[in-house]
This record gives sequence, C-alpha cells and structure tokens, in this order.
Amino acid sequence: MLSSSSRAFISVAPNSLSKTLISSNFVAKPRNLSSFSRQFFHLITLKCNSNRNHNHRKMASSVSTRASAQQLKNPDELIDSVETFIFDCDGVIWKGDSLIDGVPETLDMLRSKGKRLVFVTNNSTKSRKQYGKKFESLGLSVNEEEIFASSFAAAAYLKSIDFPKEKKVYVIGEDGILKELELAGYQHIGGPEDGDKKIELKPGFLMEHDESVGAVVVGFDRYFNYYKVQYGTLCIRENPGCLFIATNRDAVTHLTDAQEWAGGGSMVSALVGSTQQEPLVVGKPSTFMMDYVAKEFGISKSQICMVGDRLDTDILFGQNGGCKTLLVLSGVTNMEMLQSPNNSIQPDFYTSKISDFLSLKAATV
Amino acid sequence: MPPLLKKKKKKKKRKRQRKEMRSGDIQVLDGGNASRLLHSVDAFVFDCDGVIWKGNELIDGVSDTLHLLRSQGKKLVFVTNNSTKSRTQYASKFLSLGISVSQDEIFSSSFAAAMYLKSVQYPPDKKVYVVGGEGILEELHLAGFTAFGGPEDAHKTIQLKENPFFHHDNDVGAVVVGLDPYINFYKLQYATLCIRENPGCLFVATNRDAVGHMTNLQEWPGAGCMVAAVCGSTQKEPIVVGKPSTFMMDFLLKKFRIDTSRMCMVGDRLDTDILFGQSAGCKTLLVLSGVTTLSILQDSANNILPDYYTDKVSDLLQLLGP
Repeated sequence: MLSSSSRAFISVAPNSLSKTLISSNFVAKPRNLSSFSRQFFHLITLKCNSNRNHNHRKMASSVSTRASAQQLKNPDELIDSVETFIFDCDGVIWKGDSLIDGVPETLDMLRSKGKRLVFVTNNSTKSRKQYGKKFESLGLSVNEEEIFASSFAAAAYLKSIDFPKEKKVYVIGEDGILKELELAGYQHIGGPEDGDKKIELKPGFLMEHDESVGAVVVGFDRYFNYYKVQYGTLCIRENPGCLFIATNRDAVTHLTDAQEWAGGGSMVSALVGSTQQEPLVVGKPSTFMMDYVAKEFGISKSQICMVGDRLDTDILFGQNGGCKTLLVLSGVTNMEMLQSPNNSIQPDFYTSKISDFLSLKAATV
Repeated sequence: MPPLLKKKKKKKKRKRQRKEMRSGDIQVLDGGNASRLLHSVDAFVFDCDGVIWKGNELIDGVSDTLHLLRSQGKKLVFVTNNSTKSRTQYASKFLSLGISVSQDEIFSSSFAAAMYLKSVQYPPDKKVYVVGGEGILEELHLAGFTAFGGPEDAHKTIQLKENPFFHHDNDVGAVVVGLDPYINFYKLQYATLCIRENPGCLFVATNRDAVGHMTNLQEWPGAGCMVAAVCGSTQKEPIVVGKPSTFMMDFLLKKFRIDTSRMCMVGDRLDTDILFGQSAGCKTLLVLSGVTTLSILQDSANNILPDYYTDKVSDLLQLLGP
C-alpha cells in the first residue's frame, strides 16, 4: 500500500503527444514483507488512460462498468462503419514467423472495399523497412509507410520534441531502434554491441559515460546485461535533463509461436528499478502512435477500428484513442481472460481471428 | 422562590503547552549526545556497504571504532542487503579487512532468503531457481534446499534461429532474486516461466535497493533492478526479505533477545537502513559515508528522519575517545 510519505502525481498531456507519465518520489517503503506495489501504479496508468472521454459510449464512474464485449456476428456492419483498420501484428497477422490462416484474403477484401490498413506493433526489434520485408516474405503486400513499430515511434517522438541533433541517444535494445534513429538523423551508441561488454566490480574500476547523451531509449533486448543497465542508469541520473524513453512495457511477447518470452516490460522495469524514475512510453497503450497515424493520414479517430490480441496494450490503445476495438483470440488472450472478473478492459467486439471477417460474411449470405 | 441555579463555569486552567519539537528532529552527533547514545543502547546494528566498507575498501577508522564499542560491552550485529555473499563469506571479508566478526553476528539478505523459506516450511523436494550470486545458493544449500541457477547461468544465451523451445523445471516452487551483475535474458526468461507457469511458485526478493557502492568509486544498479525486471515480466510483486522489511529484525530479536529501544541502527540509506530501524523502534544513526548526502537528508521531499547523523562511523570514536 502507498505510505503517506510517498508522493505520486499522474498527468496525461492534453496535446497531440499523449504521454503515460507518472512521476513518483519514493522516499519511504512500507515495512511489511511484501514490497511497495508498483503494480498499483501500473493499474493507475491503465485506468487513467482508460478514463479519457469516448464519445460513443457512456463512462461510468469506474472503468469496470463498461459494457461487455459482443461476439462479432455481422462483420459488414463493423467494416462499413469505419474507414481505417489498425492491426497489431504478433498474434493477429502472424505468430512468430508463421502467418495466421486466412490473413492475406482478409486484408485483400478490406482493401478492395477501400479501407485503409495500418499495422502498429510494439515489437521494437525491427525497423519499418525490416517489417516490410517480413510482410513480403509472408506473401502480404504492405507498404513501409503503413507500418508503425515502436522502434519508429521512439525516433518519431524525439523528432516531435526537436531533440537536438548534437545530443546522442543511448540504446538498450536491438537493431530496429538503431536503424530508425539513424533514419531520423540521430547519433546513437549502445545497442547489441554492448551485449558483449563485461563488468569487473573491482577496486578502482570506474565506468565512464558519454555526457552528451541526452536520451536513453529502452526496449526489448535479448542481449541485456549489467553493463547496459549501468550505462543507462548513469546517463539518466547524471546527465541533466536526460530523457528516459521506453518503446513499450509488454510483460511477455511471442518471440516464437510456441510460448511466451519475457518482454520489453522487463528491460524497462530494470531501468526503473535502478533510476527510480518512470519512462515516457511511446508504444501501446500510450496513444503517441495513434495520434501520429491520425495526423499523418488525416483520419478521424472515430473512423478507426483497432484490431489486436492483447487487452492491456492493443484494446486499451484503441479505447484511449476513441476508436472502435476488436479483440481477436488468435494470440495471447483467450475467452477465460476476457471474461475473468479481474479484467476490466472490454473491447467493443471479439472474434476468434481476423479471417472471421470473411467466414462470418459467407455464413450470413 | 428558589434561587436560580447558576452554572458555574469553571475555567479550566490550561497548562501552557510547551512548543513540541517537530517529531524526528535530527541531531548531528556531538560529544554530548554521542555519550548519551552509547549509554542508552546495548547493541549496535550496522549496515555494511557505505558504513563499514566501500566495495573492498575499509572506511577509515571503522576497525578502532568497533573495537571501542566491544570494549564497552556493546553487542555488534551486521545486517546487509547485499546478497552476493553468504554469512561465512562475509565473515571472511571482515577478516581480510582486519576485523574479527563471527558469522553469527552477520545477517545477510542471502541468509534471510533461506530463513524465509524455512519459516514457511518450503518443501525440501521442491527446487529453488536463483537469479543472483553465489551467496544465495550457498545459504540455500546450507539450509537444506535444492537450488540452481545463479552464476552458472551467466553464460547462457538464447539462439532463436533454430526456433527453440525454452524448457524450465516444473519442480521449481520458488524463485529468489537478488543482486546479479551477470543478469541476462536467459535468467529473466527462466524466472518468468517458473513464476508464471509453475502453480503456487513463490517470488522472493532479497532486497530492492536501487543502487549501491559495489565499487569504491561509484554507485551501481542494485538488486532493485533485477527484481523490477522480473516484476515487469511476471506482473507480480515479490515477498521482500531484506531491509526495510522487518523479517530480518524479527529474526535478529528472537535470536538475541534485546529490546529494540536498547538498539541503535547505523546505516547510510534512508529508505532501507533508517526505515528498518525506525519500524522496529530502534534509535537510528545515519552516516554520510555512503549513498546519502546531507542535501538528500535535508531535502524537503525526504520524510525519513534519523535520530542522529554524522559523517562516518569513526566519528563515534572521535567523540567518545579518551
């Protein structure tokens, strides 16, 4: 529980850049066995985000009174009511490196109906260009400009705040982030090559860090190690005004289609643990990418349907943005999780997979 | 006509209230209060990193100060959140720095983790996965548990090219996470799978210190980093056995049977050491030889006020000296 001496404030910026921003000064921790509940703050973040106004439904005083999700029975009605579909990738389009059944035909059908398709993924390991190649290798024709990965979002965020080009960015993450930063014209250090660096905690050993680092970007990192944590921590704690940016905070991710793996949320939390500062999150459920997409394509958010497999990132992302939301059960969420009394995030609709757009249509003919 | 009953209004004499001192006013240690402190306590509980040593270097004057306190008949206890060593290994470290301390006077968070599992009657046929150092593994083995992981997983990597399935032992009933300078994705994944998929698997943290003086020259990320990483992937909160949790204090008190009001906690960290002492009702002395500076102590954002503060432990010797 929060002790009276800990202070926290939550703000959601009203401008076009939405921030999931919490600042908390921990100077006291409770004395009981279980440590201070950071999950409490996580919930506050989600609830805060989900309390924003949605013009197409009433908001009761608590999030949990949102109407239950309806099973998708009439896909045409949904398709006709929006102009753009935003798709998550892992668990919706593909699982690991395997395409989910019926996806190509479904996307073709939507395009033939004049719908705009956008793909938004929290996975920061690849750049947009690299994702474009992945789509291509799976037989899907998707333009690079239709893809928004959290790696791209990090670079786009720095651009949006006019991050000075003479400052450097330290990266705890993989190639995708480095490539996007390069494309945006930023100097970066760190990344996968720091995965081989070792630490020797012995007398006289001092780790130096570059004082011109003005931002640390943290995302999913299979080459995570103590050197990187220390480097990032030193930059954030000691370089005045240094930004702490997280691509996303997903707890687990489907690196392979067979099982879940510790996700970006793990690496980001490690830095939160050592710096005691909260990051600016650019990936879902923060609406940064939604705002960017809407601005880029000149779309009204009420004309968008967000399709995803994860409640606390995809669906919340859609709700925060004021879009319609469709949950697919082809990824990490199953019916039991959707209907659990612990779940307070209810999408507008749910269905088993996106190709139901076609099969349900056929059934109603 | 009966006389009207008049109510006698008694004016209560109020004592002039003395202006109360702000609770927890900190006093800098001086000749007067140091002597009073010495006579009012029977035991001194010391943190180690930043109080006794910094990395592997003894802080000036510590040895003579401890000697003085012992000669005055004071009990000395050392409570450290650093889980990288076992009590035996800490006793060796003290010896190498010229200080003789028995392992029974040392309470490391590695030892606390093993004692916690004992206290909940953790079944000996279940295994324990460790994200941390040799100290935790040794204490778990000494307590009779089957523990694995630790430093030997430091070199394990994950090759995704062959699309592997990551196996984990279904007999793991507890994951203990502490300071681990060899933290990597393999360990995070192993711990995550155990906690998420083994029914009833415990998630125990030795401590949650954000940073510490692992070397004498600078601060380094502490166990708080590794513990938070596992919280991030499991979305669960751990049971914390180290300071400021009272687990070690309760254990200590049972063992030594001293009244906490006759104890003084000496530490360099407000949110672990001082809070730990205050929670138990001990007197508290903050030393500025570690992570806390005077400006942090005096910052209006800080609500943890020790009874006393001083630059370093050897100030006791200076102030109490002959």
